[in-house]
Amino acid sequence: MRKVLSIGWVNTVRFLRERSNIFFVFLLPLLIILLLGAVYGGGFESRVGVHVDDAGGPLAESLVATIEDLDEISVQRYDDAGAMRDAVQRGTIDGGLTIPARFDADLAAGEVVEVVFIGRMTEQTSMLLGEAVRGAVAAEAEPIRAARFVEHQGVASFQEALPVATDLAHDEGGRITVTFREAGESAFAEFEGLGNFDVGSSQELVLFMFLTSLAGSAALIQTRRLGVARRMLATPTSTRAIVGGETLGRFSIAMVQGLYIMVGTLLLFRVDWGDPFGAVAIVVVFALVGAAAAMLMGALFSNDQQAGSLGVLLGLGLAAFGGAMAPIEIFPATMKTLAKVTPHAWAIDGFAKLVRRDGNIVDILPNLGVLAAFAAAFMLLGAWRLRRVLTR
Amino acid sequence: MPAVTIALKDLRQRIRDRSAFLWGIVAPFGLAFIFSMILGGVADTSNLDVTYAVADLDGGEMGRAFVDEILRPLDEQGLFDIEFVNDEATAESMAERGDVDAAIIVPAGFTDAVNSGAPAAVSVIGNVDTPILAEVARAIASGYADEVNAVRTSVYSLIVLQGEMPDDSELSALAAAARSEPTPLVVGDDSAASKVLSAPTFYSAGMAILFLFLAVQFGVLGLLEERQNGTMGRLLAAPIRRGSIVAGKALTSFVIGISSMSVLVVGTTFLLDARWGNSVGVAILVLAGVLSAMGIMFLVAAFAKTPEQAANLLAIIAFLLAMLGGTFFPVAQAGGLLAKISMLTPHAWFLRGLGDLIGEGRVGAVFPAAFYMVAFGVVAGLLALFRLGKAVAP
Repeated sequence: MRKVLSIGWVNTVRFLRERSNIFFVFLLPLLIILLLGAVYGGGFESRVGVHVDDAGGPLAESLVATIEDLDEISVQRYDDAGAMRDAVQRGTIDGGLTIPARFDADLAAGEVVEVVFIGRMTEQTSMLLGEAVRGAVAAEAEPIRAARFVEHQGVASFQEALPVATDLAHDEGGRITVTFREAGESAFAEFEGLGNFDVGSSQELVLFMFLTSLAGSAALIQTRRLGVARRMLATPTSTRAIVGGETLGRFSIAMVQGLYIMVGTLLLFRVDWGDPFGAVAIVVVFALVGAAAAMLMGALFSNDQQAGSLGVLLGLGLAAFGGAMAPIEIFPATMKTLAKVTPHAWAIDGFAKLVRRDGNIVDILPNLGVLAAFAAAFMLLGAWRLRRVLTR
Repeated sequence: MPAVTIALKDLRQRIRDRSAFLWGIVAPFGLAFIFSMILGGVADTSNLDVTYAVADLDGGEMGRAFVDEILRPLDEQGLFDIEFVNDEATAESMAERGDVDAAIIVPAGFTDAVNSGAPAAVSVIGNVDTPILAEVARAIASGYADEVNAVRTSVYSLIVLQGEMPDDSELSALAAAARSEPTPLVVGDDSAASKVLSAPTFYSAGMAILFLFLAVQFGVLGLLEERQNGTMGRLLAAPIRRGSIVAGKALTSFVIGISSMSVLVVGTTFLLDARWGNSVGVAILVLAGVLSAMGIMFLVAAFAKTPEQAANLLAIIAFLLAMLGGTFFPVAQAGGLLAKISMLTPHAWFLRGLGDLIGEGRVGAVFPAAFYMVAFGVVAGLLALFRLGKAVAP
């Protein structure tokens, strides 16, 4: 047992001494969580740009305010029409509305004024946003049209009639109204009230623990290639102790990283991890899965460059499959089922139970069980294969 | 040409150990495939498959006008599909189950209410998981309601300002006049060519440029390996100029970079349905991308002493730049400071250049992006040469 511990210890120390590993293990995960929070934390609102071609006026401002009042749509002001067009084309915003110069003056003078909606007309999001803006423009046109009518009938001037018409247009009584409500049970209801970083943190935790473990398989291959394993076998050390020690090394690295991400996001981003016993239990079992997968990989390959590239492919690929890049809730049904073959999906679901459903360690026992089974299966295969290649 | 001989030997070696093949083709292609399969449907906004249930319980002229003049044309334009239903309960349950994104219900007696000035309400019921699409349905219905309301507001404004109530015949004459008052605001359409990459194109291009930086490392790593293995001394003892040794290694990187990118462009076009755009433009971008990758990777490696150290540093820089450059998720589209930082990477320029090429459809559109990438490459490359001179020593 002491030998297992010392092999494991040497492995961990060797890994952490390598400065580049510090980057991949400690810096990159938090950097990505920060980036994800910045890019997606603002929610999934549709964004529309507004450019007023001159200083604007009360009518122009009123139109902008009406568009701002649309739910699920946020307004971004642009001073430069070219910049707004560019932003539409590049997808920074989904559409842009140009309010022409002399908007207020021309409307007061009784002219028909054209506002222009710039959209990516090959994309549905953009076209639908255009229709929503059109609806807002129609609402804005109502009092102006009424005030013009009054002026044309010779009863009052446009300027006198506009406030009256505006009041009447905002008076709900006796009008045609549109009532709106939402129906159905949201698949995302659980995401409500989560912080910007909450979902991303458990996803990245799982992604990186597994990825780092797989990358660690390269060290195992080096141990074999450089003859370290053979030399250890020449001493009174059993293959079982070597396999155990190497696994322990991978396991402790994954643990260090998992706990670090957990504590780091807790302190830096105030991420809620739920029941601490449950959360740590998932990290422990998932670290076992990662360590076992690394052993299997290290046993199957004999070239660390090959294992490295396939490790990245598998680490990122399985993470995508398992819902560590986009929440599994938005997957199509077949992909949801397929995701269950990855350990990632079980770990992420475990974290979801703890955080979003206020579960405790008992609630996540099925998840822990499945993860333990993954770990056992990888471990058995890996150990079997490794004992053969080590003694060859 | 000793440089070519050195490059050929290196290339043979890399092909034999399959590492260039794995880093340059298998990993990027595999990830592009997985990402576009899993995340593609989520990220793709060009085809949302929107359906609204419409129940016209009115049967009168106003309800019909809403359906025929507003909703149907939008259906025909392909903006959304309409599913007509006959009763409110069906429409509501469809929205509730998420079969449709929203249900629009024109109530019975709507026309009568409009004509008599009585209140009436069109109801819109949105599915909770498609809030933006539900809001669009609401805005369309509100737009129609306000057009109808405009007549009423016109007549009422006049009555308020006049201070006296007209009789019935005057009232209907006023309503008719108000109806013929043209709308003061129209919305013109200006279509901007999209420079947003489709999901398969984004993931293919993103993974290609990410792994390009890892694929070109073999040349410069070779330089450090020759030194570690002691073969550098022998190379220097041979009648080969130092420049040729560096040139040979650079040629190795260049060939691996160009070939892996070419295979990826062609492969993802046919297998993943990625659309790269005009092939001359793509060729320019690929060339610029390879040069920038070589320059930056050679510079990074120049700071390392051993091949292992260099490989680790290169991996860090490659992933860091790729992450900031928006190859995994669209950082540049988030706006703000982050978007500005993003543009300091060749990766962001590569993706932008591709968007410009697709959006503008002409080869010249790639020049700004290509210029920046080449500039990154040349500056980094010159700095690298300055330092790498020391590496070419026994």
